Amino acid sequence: MALRDDFPILKREVNGHPLVYLDNAATTQKPQVVLDAMNDYYTLSNANVHRAVHTLAGEATEGYELCRTRLKSWFNAERAVITSGTTEAINLVAHGWGRANLKSGDVIVLTEMEHHSDIVPWQMLAEERGVELRYVPVLDDFTLDMDVYAASLEGAKLVCVVHTSNVLGVRNPLEEIIGIAHENEALVLIDAAQGVPHDRIDFKQFDADFMAFSAHKMCGPTGIGALLIKEEVFQTMQPFMGGGDMISTVTTEGSTYQTNEHKFEAGTPKIAEAIGWCAAFDWMSKLDLEKEHERLIGIARWVADELRSMDITVYGRHGPKDGAVVSFLHPTIHTEDLAHLLDARGFAVRTGHHCAQPLLNRFGISSAVRASFYLYNTMDEAQRFIVQLRDITERFG
Amino acid sequence: MTYPEILVELIEEFSEVEDKLERLEMVFDMADEVVPLPIDQWDDGSRVVGCQSEAHVRVDFEDGKIILRSGADAKLVQGLMGILTLALNGTAPAQALLLSPEFAEEMGILNSLSPSRSNGFRNMFDKVMRDIRSLH
Repeated sequence: MALRDDFPILKREVNGHPLVYLDNAATTQKPQVVLDAMNDYYTLSNANVHRAVHTLAGEATEGYELCRTRLKSWFNAERAVITSGTTEAINLVAHGWGRANLKSGDVIVLTEMEHHSDIVPWQMLAEERGVELRYVPVLDDFTLDMDVYAASLEGAKLVCVVHTSNVLGVRNPLEEIIGIAHENEALVLIDAAQGVPHDRIDFKQFDADFMAFSAHKMCGPTGIGALLIKEEVFQTMQPFMGGGDMISTVTTEGSTYQTNEHKFEAGTPKIAEAIGWCAAFDWMSKLDLEKEHERLIGIARWVADELRSMDITVYGRHGPKDGAVVSFLHPTIHTEDLAHLLDARGFAVRTGHHCAQPLLNRFGISSAVRASFYLYNTMDEAQRFIVQLRDITERFG
Repeated sequence: MTYPEILVELIEEFSEVEDKLERLEMVFDMADEVVPLPIDQWDDGSRVVGCQSEAHVRVDFEDGKIILRSGADAKLVQGLMGILTLALNGTAPAQALLLSPEFAEEMGILNSLSPSRSNGFRNMFDKVMRDIRSLH
């Protein structure tokens, strides 16, 4: 698989065995072009952005702003605020939009499927502003209870929903969710951290009001992400952090702010990371993401079926549009023990609550093992994973 | 650092094993050394914080000697507890307090465990020592 050659880390061994990296829902590996782009920036063009007139500052600014241009063209978006990641992007909505637009008694609708990053900021805002939070339950088939969702929208000003669950891999019926929310005059925030790596989303067509995601789950660097915002909603937001690039003028009496995305990007931004993310977009643009996703969900489905045949409980349905994520619980081997034993043979999987405790509580568990697949994973790796798991089960189960 | 004889033997035994899976299996086997703390006695006072799995320890004295009782849901944690049990049970508090946690590193256990687990072991070790000090 030629694509794997672009990732130097995949050549390494772990504990004397070839690395099989199956923790992609946590973060993906980076192709050489991303590493080179970031290294070249620091080696040749390092400078701060926007203000200085010298050549290096010009190159740095161009590189940074090119990331915004890429974001807008990749997702067909009007506004793209560059953040430190999905979490900051969601917090930006809570502070920048929520504080300016929500009052006591207003309702925010969340789901039991949300990552903590899409729960905690709303709990903090609810406490501060007296906002009511309503949670849409998850059904036994791992989907959202859409009847409860529709019934929970009275008084709702915002719906926050995850595009694809980082635990279940379930891709939610977002088009329907957005449509119903808008009929009820509620805005919609999509946590697309697990969605954008697999799904080439047209933000305008999608019609969500906010969409948050991170670079590092799509072959880009850590520490950078984005919030896409619909133009008319962008105009209703207030700055979240003060200082640096977000100002227009500052006097001892007060300040005025930028009117573009810089208003929400206080301080020196993530310049090297933005340049690295651009390289990741360029690298990904050469792939047929739809075809790749079809291949990966096929692998995930096969793994899930194999696990079930071993009497292991699998959480997820692995439909055609779902994420290539397989979360499971072995009947006798503790999740953490299993992850350590797999690591001893070079397999990197995730264990724990996956920052989705309400969802795990819903299924009566506190921890699960998660294997998640991305562009460079192969069926051969999946088969070796199952062979190793069978071996460990026989030895330690 | 001078360790009790049982730990010196374990350090030697563990350091001879290169394969990580085998070393983990050896830690698992050490779970047999645990003096169980029954689950109905697990409470906030016995909980080891900073451990990803549920882990509980309780220190008692009998005839002036330490008895460490413990329990955990993960086998690896139970194994680590077993090693600590071998090192501490039956010793006098003053002697026990001389023990440093580096023995786990010398056994290659910390290297074979994730940072969170290492911290968990360290937290467990520190809690046991705190409990010995407060009861002594």
